[in-house]
Amino acid sequence: MKKWGIFLLLPVLILGQPEFFGYFESEADVMQLGSERYSFGYNKFRLDVEARPSDNVLIGADVIIQKYWGQTTWNIYDFLPGYSDFDLIQNIELQDTILVDNIYMRLSFPWADLTLGRQQISPGVGYAWNPTDIFNTKSLLDPSYEQTGVSSIRIYLPLGNRSALNGVVQPESTWGKSTKQLWLKTGLSRFDVDITLAELQQATPTSMVYGDAFDVKRTLAGGTIVGELLEWGLWIEAAQNTLDTLVSISPLGPAASHDPLSIQIDKTYLEYVIGIDHTFDNSIYIVGEYLHNGFGSKDKSQLGLHDYLYSLTGESTSLMQDYAFLYAMHPTFDFVTLSTLVIANFNDNSGTFAPQLDWNAFEDTNISLQGSLFWGDDDTEFGLQDWGLRLRVRSDF
Amino acid sequence: MNTKLFIILILTVSTASAQTPTAEQIVDRVTAIMSPENSYSKGSQTIITSSGKERVFEFESWAGGKGESSLTRYTKPAAIRGQAFLMLNNADDIWSYFPRTKRVRKLASHAKKQKMQGSDFTYEDMGGGDVFQKKFTSSILGEETKDGELLWKIQLLGIADQEPPYPKIIMWVRQSDYYPIILEYYDEKDFNSKTLLLSDIQIIESYPTAMTMVMTDNKERSSTTMRTLEITYAWEPPKGFFSERNLKK
Repeated sequence: MKKWGIFLLLPVLILGQPEFFGYFESEADVMQLGSERYSFGYNKFRLDVEARPSDNVLIGADVIIQKYWGQTTWNIYDFLPGYSDFDLIQNIELQDTILVDNIYMRLSFPWADLTLGRQQISPGVGYAWNPTDIFNTKSLLDPSYEQTGVSSIRIYLPLGNRSALNGVVQPESTWGKSTKQLWLKTGLSRFDVDITLAELQQATPTSMVYGDAFDVKRTLAGGTIVGELLEWGLWIEAAQNTLDTLVSISPLGPAASHDPLSIQIDKTYLEYVIGIDHTFDNSIYIVGEYLHNGFGSKDKSQLGLHDYLYSLTGESTSLMQDYAFLYAMHPTFDFVTLSTLVIANFNDNSGTFAPQLDWNAFEDTNISLQGSLFWGDDDTEFGLQDWGLRLRVRSDF
Repeated sequence: MNTKLFIILILTVSTASAQTPTAEQIVDRVTAIMSPENSYSKGSQTIITSSGKERVFEFESWAGGKGESSLTRYTKPAAIRGQAFLMLNNADDIWSYFPRTKRVRKLASHAKKQKMQGSDFTYEDMGGGDVFQKKFTSSILGEETKDGELLWKIQLLGIADQEPPYPKIIMWVRQSDYYPIILEYYDEKDFNSKTLLLSDIQIIESYPTAMTMVMTDNKERSSTTMRTLEITYAWEPPKGFFSERNLKK
């Protein structure tokens, strides 16, 4: 959202008898990557404010202060199997930030909700992956972590108790460059179903390396279905994507046709997630998902730099084509939950096993410790890393 | 029919009748008294674990269609502020909303047996409506006196093809007003796995209302006390209130 929007909404927030809430979060990480061991982390403070000047108006905003420590400069080539042995450097610097993440106003009419401003948009029904979500990237080791806001205009039109039409526009300088997505949702017996159409124009992530980029138009047609079968939760989320290169001249010039960056962007691919979940009588809860991403490579020998860049930046849901995600959780002791997640890449036979302990030490204060062990050859997606450890403390107020 | 008149009629008929009502009649009247047309309430939920640790939650709750639909939104503690649950069709369909991720998730039927926010109440326990009438057969086991109150002891046996929440429930019902004060829930091994005690029963807008409910898990030796802090039966749900749209507000 433009700065004028912030100046417009902040005084209203202050005058609307606001509620304040938020959290402080501190994280410390250790990661073994080949012969290098990195330690890093952050301290994060988030203050949310919500005001309701009238029954039909909600104004919300949050401010995030985040300071990083330890390793804050990362060479992306260190994370690219096949490139890490060369002396290539392309650094990403994690900067301390103070930012207004979300700031929005929701107007509730009898026939619709209209939300204007920077707001969190989280479409899709998948737990680890969301093929129909064009706005966010999830961390596989923490898929339920909050997402950053999207500056957008959103309208929600209820069409009965279980049906609705939902539209989002993320405005850019022209309508053609603006991101648009539309959902039609309904209930069919015990299932919730939606279909979605989206269009966005994005620069390819090659700009990270060469400072220039191709513009690619992506159109998406997809849908979700969620319900249950034989007492197991079941969901499917799928999207058919078409990519069209809008600027076909490589920033490296015509001679760059053999460069790994000079890829043929134009393509059509299918991406889908099938998921199940169940709670057993002994309180063990499990989630399993399978992802097929037609954009990813099937064989690690076909991987190019652009594949890694797409995956690292989240422009592609995954690096390769076929994955499984398994999460199991059990409330083992008083306010202590033990869980584990397993992620497997079927194409390069690599993966990670990450057990986690969550302790609600005090009311509103949680401590979590997650370990991660990686398997696979050194030139595979997960095998590149050896192990990791993450300690996170969070206190809400 | 005016709900106040309905309650008076039930009580008048029961008083006028010289015969002991049948188990089905008692269950029908329990259902009528326990399922007002609509309600809005604020409550607290105190969980005491087997090791004596305590957590307190506060929530707002709306119910409609004689308990067929309900929406519960947590207000405290801060960590779960805004989490909400929408239950339709007597908790056969449940949607949960997580404000942190802004996602709505439909829960499968197995989730109905999950503990609600770690309490000793399951989602299914929170669902109201005509569950006792539709999913159980009833019989009178006898009469007992507790704390000077004459009670019927009713046995409810689950009808297998109706997917009852428990195989068996034993319920003690006050003869004076058909209000249940003790419910014992039994598992498949006929073990009394949970016990619900209803107390501090006050007449709120013509409806007897338990201001305190204590659910004890006899296996885990934990308990959850649900207190009604504020309640009205005069609330009318606006059109489309029990919907995903409202769940996210």
